[in-house]
Amino acid sequence: MFNDSSAEPAAGSSGSNENVTKIEPIRMPTIEEMRAQEVWNNCAVKSVASGVMGGGLGLMMGLFMGALDNPIMHDTMTGRQQFVYTAKQMGQRSWSSCKTFAVMGLVYSAAECIVEKARAKHDIINTAVAGCVTGGTMSARGGPKAACMGCVGFATFSVLIEKFFDRHT
Amino acid sequence: MATPNPFPAGISKEQAFSMAQTEMEYRVELFNKLAQTCFSKCVDKRYKEAELNMGDNSCIDRCVSKYWQVNGMVGQLLSAGKPPM
Repeated sequence: MFNDSSAEPAAGSSGSNENVTKIEPIRMPTIEEMRAQEVWNNCAVKSVASGVMGGGLGLMMGLFMGALDNPIMHDTMTGRQQFVYTAKQMGQRSWSSCKTFAVMGLVYSAAECIVEKARAKHDIINTAVAGCVTGGTMSARGGPKAACMGCVGFATFSVLIEKFFDRHT
Repeated sequence: MATPNPFPAGISKEQAFSMAQTEMEYRVELFNKLAQTCFSKCVDKRYKEAELNMGDNSCIDRCVSKYWQVNGMVGQLLSAGKPPM
């Protein structure tokens, strides 16, 4: 941290009371600051947080899609029944979407964290491998061929998104 | 080298002070070289963000650990063996 000579003395760091010290020595981070940063270096914490965010996103998307998709039947039900029915459909839809997105976020974040820690490098390969793992696990029910297609598709998608967000370099 | 007790027998104050100064210079040089080496090895030169990535962090951990171990080994060899140069 570079301090110019007009910096105010921080609370309790320099200590001399008589003359106002204007130049501060470089302050190493305290144990509390280091621990707070280390929390986000943990793979478990990061993946759970990503899973929660993915779940929230899935809820929003599921609500939106569920509201759009349900046909309104005027002749068989009264207004209040229609409302209840539509609300239930929206709830089911958004809950399943929430679960899907939460799992997706959790698996992607965990895979990327583990791969990056093992390789000790920050690359585009990390996102590709993590995308492949996520796509593979999510389409694993359809058999090995579906898993391969899901892997390639999701890896391509995540690489494109990463390049889109990195365009300013 | 074990840290000496304050003023052991036979060492004057000036000698202790100059020893401490040499030791301090050595430590500062070691830290600067360590930081420079591991920074040039681990951190990508095209800066994309201010924070250190997780990959950078684990690379720095490994680099510092290796550097420290090699430093210890070289110090032991130099102090114990004293090979004729």
